[in-house]
Amino acid sequence: MTPTEILVLVLAAGGVFFSLVAAVGLVRMPDLYTRAHSSSKSETLGAVLALAAVAIAFGTQLSTIKAVLLLVFMFLTNPTAAHAITRASAEQGIEPWTTEDDDP
Amino acid sequence: MVPVSAGRLLVPVSESSTLRNTVAYAVEQAFESAGESDRAASIHFVFPLSERYTYGTEPQAADEAQSLLDRVAVWAEEDLGDNADAVEIETALVGTEEYLFSPGDYADVLVRYAEAHSLDRAVFDPEFNPLGTTPLLPPLENEMRRAGLDVEDAPVQRSRRSPLLVQRGTVAQFLALFAASFGFYLVLAGSLATFELVTGAISAGIVAVVLWGVSLTTPLRPGRTVMQFLRLLLYIPYLLWEIAKANLQVAYVVLHPDLPIDPKMVEFDAAVWSPLPITTLANSITLTPGTLTVDVSKRQFMVHSLTESSREGLFGGALERAVRFVFYGRAAARIPSPRERSGEEGEET
Repeated sequence: MTPTEILVLVLAAGGVFFSLVAAVGLVRMPDLYTRAHSSSKSETLGAVLALAAVAIAFGTQLSTIKAVLLLVFMFLTNPTAAHAITRASAEQGIEPWTTEDDDP
Repeated sequence: MVPVSAGRLLVPVSESSTLRNTVAYAVEQAFESAGESDRAASIHFVFPLSERYTYGTEPQAADEAQSLLDRVAVWAEEDLGDNADAVEIETALVGTEEYLFSPGDYADVLVRYAEAHSLDRAVFDPEFNPLGTTPLLPPLENEMRRAGLDVEDAPVQRSRRSPLLVQRGTVAQFLALFAASFGFYLVLAGSLATFELVTGAISAGIVAVVLWGVSLTTPLRPGRTVMQFLRLLLYIPYLLWEIAKANLQVAYVVLHPDLPIDPKMVEFDAAVWSPLPITTLANSITLTPGTLTVDVSKRQFMVHSLTESSREGLFGGALERAVRFVFYGRAAARIPSPRERSGEEGEET
């Protein structure tokens, strides 16, 4: 295996790992806000690592630029969406879960 | 349509930009129905003041509430003018011996007050919000309706909180927007064939015409923009490193059998000033695991944090400093961190 292939594999594996963490977090977390944490961030990193793997695998092609652009938009839109969801719920008066609450 | 005893109004008040008009509306309503009822028309302005403000930490809150009530009474008398005898004005602080937290608590106190003084109609200031950040009004109104009160919002204009989204653009902005869209289109198309050039020009033209007044609304200053862009290039690796590092922490927390989380909502005033830096900081906070920007109003950030260590990082202010560096240069990066700015806030919240 060439170094490039190894790098691509590592990045892709990282992407899978963090996407998995996001999914596990979504199931295990107690309320909307904490779930938004796992869906917005681990998910972003997972997708970004996968896209980085794609960009490197393509080498110097136009698709590389497109993958990089996708990556940038991921970084811009994911936090915004998470913010919109949590803000809407805060405006609806949903109280965040705290450790004082009983276990769900 | 108007109930017989509609001249007896309950008006909860708190500091707000539409309070003056709400008072005027309530007075007008009470006065109109003053003749129709055999009971005297009267308006009770009440200020729900939670116990937590009357004891200990913030004794001045009670004084402020009282002075607001006095001001409201003066306004009401001013609106009544010569007809001061027709409507009776009362003011009261309520809930001072209870801990008011949820909309239910507030509704409870207000309904009890209304029953004690046989008031059957409540007029709300649409901006009434004693809790500060969390909106309280819709659930509160529902609770009070359930208790049998006649509830309405005063039809007053809300003040505009932000400037108009659409502004008049200049020709330079139009051209910049057109050039950026055109360039982006050609990059995606990946060729300079005539077909791409023509369709690109048409698309960029549409984008520029439609979004002319919305994006790039501040005057262009190329020198500063280039410097900001260069510093942004420095910021991105730093942010990526922070994201990667913090994501490992969250992965640990999520996969840990005990799920060791301690979520809390915290607020702080960020030392960044214009919309773009604030957006950048808010997005960076959300991307850095363990912290999630829930709401931003002006400079006040409301952040939901997952663990104790993520709160530490937030109040340490490293991200905020980096954002200031990007937008304002090196000197601004030395402004103290949120914790240093307000020593007790970081520990208490």
